[in-house]
Amino acid sequence: MGPETILSHLHRADGSATYTYNGYSIIGSVNGPIEVPRRDEHAEEATIEVNVRPAVGVGSPKERHLETLLHNTLRSITLIRSIPRTLVQITLQIRSLPEGEAAVGVNSSLTLLPHLLNTAVLALLSTSVPLATIATSVLVAVSPKAPTPLLSPTATELLRVKPIRSIHVFAFSGERKLLLNESDGAFSVNEWDEACEMAEEVCCKEGGVGLGEGMDVDGQQINMEGWLRDVVRRKVELEQRWRTAD
Amino acid sequence: MPRETEISVNERAFIQQALQENLRLDGRAFDAFRPLELTFGDEYGVADVQLGKTRVIARISVDVAVPPPERKFDGIFQIIAEFSPMASPAFEVGRPSDAEMVLSRILEKAIRRSNALDTESLCIIAGLKCFALRADVHIIDHDGGLVDASCIAVMAALQHFRRPDVVVEGEKATILSVREREPIPLSILHQPLCVSFSYFEDGEIFLIDANLSEEQVRNAEIIVTMNKHGEVCQIAKYGGATVDPLALLNCTNVALQKVKEMSKIIQGKLEADAKKRDAGGLMAELSAENER
Amino acid sequence: MSDLMTVVLPGDDVPPDDLPKAQNKKKALKLGPGLRHIPPETITTTIAGALVTDARKNAAWIEYNSGRVSALPSAPISVQPIVILDHVCHSRPRQAVPSGGSIGTQLTLQQYLASVGDLVIATVLSSTSEHFNCYITPHTHTAALPHLAFEGANRKNQKKLPPHSLVYARIVNSGKDSIPEITCVDASTGKGEGLGPLNGGMVFKISLSMARRLLAGRKGGVSVLEGLSEKMGFEVAIGRNGMLWVDAGSVKATLAVGRAVQEADEQGLGEKGQKKAVDRALKKI
Repeated sequence: MGPETILSHLHRADGSATYTYNGYSIIGSVNGPIEVPRRDEHAEEATIEVNVRPAVGVGSPKERHLETLLHNTLRSITLIRSIPRTLVQITLQIRSLPEGEAAVGVNSSLTLLPHLLNTAVLALLSTSVPLATIATSVLVAVSPKAPTPLLSPTATELLRVKPIRSIHVFAFSGERKLLLNESDGAFSVNEWDEACEMAEEVCCKEGGVGLGEGMDVDGQQINMEGWLRDVVRRKVELEQRWRTAD
Repeated sequence: MPRETEISVNERAFIQQALQENLRLDGRAFDAFRPLELTFGDEYGVADVQLGKTRVIARISVDVAVPPPERKFDGIFQIIAEFSPMASPAFEVGRPSDAEMVLSRILEKAIRRSNALDTESLCIIAGLKCFALRADVHIIDHDGGLVDASCIAVMAALQHFRRPDVVVEGEKATILSVREREPIPLSILHQPLCVSFSYFEDGEIFLIDANLSEEQVRNAEIIVTMNKHGEVCQIAKYGGATVDPLALLNCTNVALQKVKEMSKIIQGKLEADAKKRDAGGLMAELSAENER
Repeated sequence: MSDLMTVVLPGDDVPPDDLPKAQNKKKALKLGPGLRHIPPETITTTIAGALVTDARKNAAWIEYNSGRVSALPSAPISVQPIVILDHVCHSRPRQAVPSGGSIGTQLTLQQYLASVGDLVIATVLSSTSEHFNCYITPHTHTAALPHLAFEGANRKNQKKLPPHSLVYARIVNSGKDSIPEITCVDASTGKGEGLGPLNGGMVFKISLSMARRLLAGRKGGVSVLEGLSEKMGFEVAIGRNGMLWVDAGSVKATLAVGRAVQEADEQGLGEKGQKKAVDRALKKI
């Protein structure tokens, strides 16, 4: 099962998406391109603003850190030069986190990061902001108790293989290029290589130009690129239903 | 800075003309709420309220803290309502707008100061430890009626919330995890709800639960907070225009009826949710064990 | 328009086989919104949606509905709505004459033309000595509407428009690097041709694709307005920025027209569904 999504469901924002996966539920919205305050205006490119809002309380340095990571990644996939002197405002509201998330004992901003990034990309697609490519992201955890690294593990799975030696977040572009990597813990180059390869496998469409038939490999593995394509296909079908309606 | 855009003169005139012909643009009666939808999250204490196109999520969380020295026997209860650009690009992070201030102030008066929650029940050891309860209100979609929707969300979330049980031995308090013992509901003394009245045409027409465009056209607003027993918790009036005192009295009568209806809906949803959680009647067994 | 649509994500390369084959080698390929050309020969997508091609016009674009496309003036030319292509084609001989130059320059030219000529419902925000500042969508940079850009306006006789009044206007210049400009007059004839201040009536929000379909005429597959106009009289103005202005004389009739269109839009009604919506609307009056 891939992440559950609802696209363009908010009325006020220009684009929006709700993303639910592994106990994480995030609502993302995008306004833009809109007028940018003078102090943030760039003559040749758009300004991207990311707001991460925790489920409980107001933003802390942890959210600021996530915002910076997201900002840099999203900026690199947006065609900012084609919409100069404007603002693209991305708001990510965390609705719920999985139970026992705090008990896992790993850096919780990293476990959250891939979900935030996936939500932001969905919301950007919903807004039709011009993008150079897409981005898909996944978490990989390495534990001495697990024979192979765990791919987008649930909180319960992480609890079972405690202590976790290292966790890695990878994001790939549609062209299989590594966009973002954040790793935490002790790991060898080989371990990192293995984790990176696994992540690439899941994030990108397999071998050359596929038609998005990547769902349900191995019965449970999902392909993020195929999943994203499927979400968009459903959105297009809904928008075009008047063509076939009575 | 992007400001909230004002409604066009054409729309303003049209809405006013329609009201004089006894029509609301969405076809509602003057004293009708938009359809209310209330859902609860998987966790305790999360209420998702949709009032027409307006959507608000309230989330209750709890922590252990030291009570303030001047109120040794009380727990701490806070309501935080902060706008985000999600609801409108005009909402700027860290710079509260007037609407945001009004919302925070009304929720404070309506729920906290009306003692809807028995804060004494949050005390663990007098002067040393207490529960600090926090209600976060997230505005997801904004089409007017934020105060009413937020109040419903917070009250529903408070009633839905369960706090962990605690064992006190002398000066030592142990918080029992959810696995060890079934968490317990909060002690709610009464359930205040807000009803907003919008005045038009110098007080001759009033609407309940105005949507955003109606809010932009109105002369004045009156927010009445009441519980289902007819006790008024607060009345606030914003927006200059004068209002007949008798009309105000009328408002409280209408509000009572609306509050009763809404309380019923909330109660129904709470019961349905409890039933869903209590698959196979296990809950009754668990709580019976707790009582022993 | 083919029934089978290719769903694309941003960054997908469009295979040359999927692009329309030009019968006439001289005719430049036109790229509508959501497509961009990376020299020398790659065409990639920038938004998610369905790839649509039109062999007759030798055009390709991405069909999509969501988002703030209507932020035209500051938006990139490459996300300009495609209907304009139609516009350009059957209005004036404004089409670019393709020469032997590189595709790149032709593309820009085509896309530039495509963005200009859009009909929008703009809101006046303020007035300066020379022009009105108007916004086409909320929270975007304002567009300039010169005081003289109205039918019959001259130095001595100028329109007075209070803040927040509505005008039906055409985009003259949606330049990325200058202040966008709109006009209420046709420069070649000096006539308003239906453009100008909108008095009375009511505006209804519609989706961008609905606006596009309404402006596309028969091809758009919207019959609600036609159906209603058989039984009643009303005035409409369709703004590509997702606004529909209706004045049918009375509040009830105006509401009925506006709601019928919104219904067809939100529920994605087909022909039969639209007929029913028309009947329901007529019953209300």
